[in-house]
Amino acid sequence: MSRYRLGIDIGGTFTDFSLVDAISGEVRVEKMLTSSSAPEKTVIQGVDLLSETIPNMLTEAKEVIHATTLITNVILERKGSKTGLLTTEGFTDILEIAREVRYDIFDMFIRLPEPMVPRNLRLGAEERILASGMVLNPLNEASVRKAAEIFREADVEAVAVAFLHSYQNSSNEIRAGEILKSELPNVILSLSHEVHPEPKEYERTSTTVIDAYVKGIAEGYLDQLSEGLKSRGYRNRLFVMLSNGGTATVETAKSVPVQIVESGPAAGVEAASYFGRLMNIDPMLSFDMGGTTAKLCIIENGRAARTRTYEVDRVHRFKMGSGLPAAVPVYDLLEIGAGGGSIARVNDLGLMQVGPDSSGSDPGPASYGLNGQEPTVTDADLLLGYLNPDYFLGGQMRLDRDAAERAIRNTLSEKTGLTPIEAAAGVHEIVNENMASAARVYVAEKGQAPSKLSLVAFGGAGPVHALGLARKLGCPKVIVPPFSGVMSSLGLLAAPVAFERSRTIRQILRNVDLTKIHEFYRELEQEARSLMPEGSELLVRRTVDLRYSGQDYPLEIDIEEPTVNEKLKTDWEGSFEAEYNELYGKVDDENPIELASIRVYVSQPMPHLDIAKPTATTDAEPKAVRDVYVSSETGTATVPVYERTDLCIGQLIMGPAIVEERESTTVIGDGDKLTVNNRGCLEIDLAKSSTNTKESDDQSINSYIGES
Amino acid sequence: MQLDPVTIQILWSRLITIVDEAATGLMRTAYTPSVKEYHDFCCALFDTNAQMLSHSTVTTAGFLGIVPEVMRNFLKKHPPESLKPGDAIITNDPWIASGHLIDISIASPIFHRDKIVGYTLCIVHHLDMGGRMSTLESKDMYEEGLKIPILKLFTEGTLDQTIFEFIKANIRVPDKVLGDLRAQLVANNVCTRGLKNLLDEYKLDGLEELGAEVIHRTESSLRKKISALPNGSYKNNVLLPKIPGCEDEIRINAEITVIDDEVIIDYSGSSGEVGAAINCSYNMTRSYSSYPIKLALDPYIPNNDGGLRPIKVIAPEGTVVNSRPPAATWGRTMISHLFPEIVFAAMENIMPDTILASNGGSPANEVYLHGRHTDGRSFMAIAQHSGGFGASAQYDGYSCLCFPNNTRNIPIEVTENEARMYYTHKELLPDSGGPGFNRGGLGQKVEFCILDGNKEFAHDVESSVRLSGRTEDGTFPVFGRCGGGNGRGSGMWANGETVDHGIYRRLSPNDKIQFILSGGGGYGDALQRETARVLEDVVQGYVSIENAKKDYGVVINPNVLEVDIQATELLRKKMA
Repeated sequence: MSRYRLGIDIGGTFTDFSLVDAISGEVRVEKMLTSSSAPEKTVIQGVDLLSETIPNMLTEAKEVIHATTLITNVILERKGSKTGLLTTEGFTDILEIAREVRYDIFDMFIRLPEPMVPRNLRLGAEERILASGMVLNPLNEASVRKAAEIFREADVEAVAVAFLHSYQNSSNEIRAGEILKSELPNVILSLSHEVHPEPKEYERTSTTVIDAYVKGIAEGYLDQLSEGLKSRGYRNRLFVMLSNGGTATVETAKSVPVQIVESGPAAGVEAASYFGRLMNIDPMLSFDMGGTTAKLCIIENGRAARTRTYEVDRVHRFKMGSGLPAAVPVYDLLEIGAGGGSIARVNDLGLMQVGPDSSGSDPGPASYGLNGQEPTVTDADLLLGYLNPDYFLGGQMRLDRDAAERAIRNTLSEKTGLTPIEAAAGVHEIVNENMASAARVYVAEKGQAPSKLSLVAFGGAGPVHALGLARKLGCPKVIVPPFSGVMSSLGLLAAPVAFERSRTIRQILRNVDLTKIHEFYRELEQEARSLMPEGSELLVRRTVDLRYSGQDYPLEIDIEEPTVNEKLKTDWEGSFEAEYNELYGKVDDENPIELASIRVYVSQPMPHLDIAKPTATTDAEPKAVRDVYVSSETGTATVPVYERTDLCIGQLIMGPAIVEERESTTVIGDGDKLTVNNRGCLEIDLAKSSTNTKESDDQSINSYIGES
Repeated sequence: MQLDPVTIQILWSRLITIVDEAATGLMRTAYTPSVKEYHDFCCALFDTNAQMLSHSTVTTAGFLGIVPEVMRNFLKKHPPESLKPGDAIITNDPWIASGHLIDISIASPIFHRDKIVGYTLCIVHHLDMGGRMSTLESKDMYEEGLKIPILKLFTEGTLDQTIFEFIKANIRVPDKVLGDLRAQLVANNVCTRGLKNLLDEYKLDGLEELGAEVIHRTESSLRKKISALPNGSYKNNVLLPKIPGCEDEIRINAEITVIDDEVIIDYSGSSGEVGAAINCSYNMTRSYSSYPIKLALDPYIPNNDGGLRPIKVIAPEGTVVNSRPPAATWGRTMISHLFPEIVFAAMENIMPDTILASNGGSPANEVYLHGRHTDGRSFMAIAQHSGGFGASAQYDGYSCLCFPNNTRNIPIEVTENEARMYYTHKELLPDSGGPGFNRGGLGQKVEFCILDGNKEFAHDVESSVRLSGRTEDGTFPVFGRCGGGNGRGSGMWANGETVDHGIYRRLSPNDKIQFILSGGGGYGDALQRETARVLEDVVQGYVSIENAKKDYGVVINPNVLEVDIQATELLRKKMA
């Protein structure tokens, strides 16, 4: 019997699990330290742990869905395969020449990311396809063999092949791939027509290179993961969340891993959207802070914006063009190198600095007792009394307060003359400010005002820092959903498994043969259905991409199941024009309308999660009190500590207070007011005087307001 | 309403978001790669006094000093009281708007609650305006295409078809050009909606208070930065490279004077107008003269009217830097793109850390191709390629990076889809970067070939390739700065023969055009460059072993690619 759905999110520091019983809707969660050398082993350990309470969990699992930040971390830390690039001869510098433009017109000193393949590993093959797809020069196979020889001598581990116009005619690219495969059997290959079959050589080449760079690592652990699950009795397909919240099979994820670069953050966005819908929070700013990074995303009208102009490894966080393009659809979110594991140090100017590098899970923060010597945000939070050394992961992991204090004393106090507590308060403040200054620009660029956004906090470190961040940003309210410490894995289950299939048409709509279109839709739908988990109830959505002939960007219009009635064309044109006018105003374009492509989305219905509501019927008393650093004015004070599962619906708590749960801790500041809502979420209204304080905001007027 | 600093910050960002959204609307609904990829356009928002408050961040530097004047010129002809909701005004007059006929400006008033609260303007460099197209040879404006005087293109939401008919009848690719004109209206619509939403959301009646804050803060920020410079006058007089087909010698005399919190850039003594298509309008000169001041002193403040106020540009009428109608202007960037480096060179000694060595691709390259596809349809395509970026006190120059205009290249695959041609080569040119403690970026070698046509139609292709015209041994090489060497590499060939740039040439199938864009200038003494950096350049193929020795005094053993430390020390001593 298929009964369970399991979500697994592998982060840089922790691996989170959520299990939902599809019949009762009941949810269970688990959280474990990620093994940095073999993350898939952590998954198996976690599965075994869950199986202790639910013995047949995997054999009765309907689907296992996976997301990860491992791929992004490989790119950020430049830990991927040594990669070579084979291009059309005469064009080996496409990757470095890029778009020849400065991403900031007023900054002469902009920095650009290093190309992922250095010039001496960019080689050319004699071949040429024309824009029409016609072969001008057939592939000179000897030139590919010669390149293979150089790659071999340089110990290249992965090769990206990107020939001009391969999206029109992939024959030369395919043949070059075959030759490389036979010459270099152990080398990983990515072919541009498979990774991103679209024109614009730089974007396609860059995407293919990134794909090749991460593929070895992705393949390795995804294979191990599939095997491990299978050996524990899982019989169905392993699914992986795409960077835009859609679904891929593990086979697709392995063959084009660049598509899952942002799968972990996407799962977080899905979770936040789920709670947003459930509780009518709109617009919101989702705030997911884990061990390595923090992710922020604006969710408006129930959905997060998506973009196709994604870039990895941006030199300048906010500037489009300052990173390496990966042309895959992603959620448009902000990612910052700020997490529990972010390392604090004193720089050459004698100033304290936090992140962006993280201690990860190995060695991890000093307090993990795994021989980490450098102080981290988690160490600071522990010293400030925000974290309970005996209740981290519900006591499964003990935190070593002395080790944390030692690390802070030895590195930070030593160089700044601050007491360990003062230094720890500084670390907490700086990491919050780092996130706030990035968030201000992100929020402004999306045309939003922080004062209108509720901050929805999750991830292991999210609720610890949420109130501090909200105060700096001027968000009036913070919401901490249940299971906030493992929300991303819950997000994997909150989103339906959904496959998108599309077909390029590029014909004037009036000339399109509807019988054929009808047939294409049927094929696409078949294809998508075949990928879905067995026995799912399925929803089908069909769309047409229309534009005026000659434009690049189509509008996606929802349609009914198509017939072969010619009247359809007028209907589609009508819907397109209405939407075009709505978006752009009426400009009466006279060019004919073109059908760019057709799409089918097959998905499960919105899943049902029955997240246990608080069962307590009377207000909980604090389970303890402890010394907690409240603010620079108050210093350390004795503060009540509540157990989250003890709280009852409607309970009201005035800050300062601490609410602990197994996977996270919510830190409530002086004067903040917490209420437990009927979904079990903690709703915290920030103390009036503390939001938008002149002082913090004047400091924060970042970037460009000049002095008057 | 009294605006506090926090609200100003939010609203200011929002004004920029609004014009950037307008630019996105433009790109999404445009038809030609010159808008979609090349980004030669701008979208701007003005208050009721026609003060520019925000300017799209995707744009080219040339619009900087132009945009505010266009709006003021429009309002002189059509004062606010004569405007109705749904009106749109158009022109391509070089002296009223942006300096050549190929740029079309369209402005719209923004009405909110029955009164004008501001204006929006979108300028686009179009694909075609008729005439003899993109050549330096035109002697006056009338050869250069159709001129559109200031006219109402839309009256209360109704298009004046006559204007469109006139344009349509005079140009080669009307579907695309008229499509792009509509995209400009989209930009204005999006901008209008954005501003109205903002006013509603913040319950504002108008932009006056916010506009005054934005402009005042920008202006005073720049004034403060200028005050930090020593008062004085700094000169730079140059003789520009010869313009193909033009007998006149062209001199630019520049004197930059810093007086307290103002900068005066005076071009008195520069050459008179010429009978070639390179004459600048005053506003064009103002754009590229103000730009380097902002770049060097106050780059992080968004662009608006306030940033232009502390800078005065003096250019006597009738000179090549302030031409009069009907001078020919198509290739005005042949001169205006040089102003930033002319200014930097003059100020080399007073602000050595915030200037760049010359860019190998400046004045910008432009390639035009016009002909028929095999099915008889006309095509017209623009492409652009950049040279090496100039080095600075801090950094090596990047290879093939645009300056000063900052337009994106049009991908090879896009151009080959538009025009009947294919590239055979486009790669970095080793050894082209000017040597220096920091090296200039590499330039590139580009080669393309004409594809077979259909003899039923004219199957030749008309093409012009405009280059900088700068050569290593000429009067105006790609200068290094503070002891750095000049950028290298230049030239253009048709089927292997040296030819002039910037003029039209008829190309038959299989004809081959080749050209080189120089590397950027170097910065500082090349003999001081760390040997490890020189070695890395050699390993990566940016610098040859021979040039490592000749330019940097670094001796590298070719067999093991290692520095011969002793030989290097000796050689560097000898060269010093």
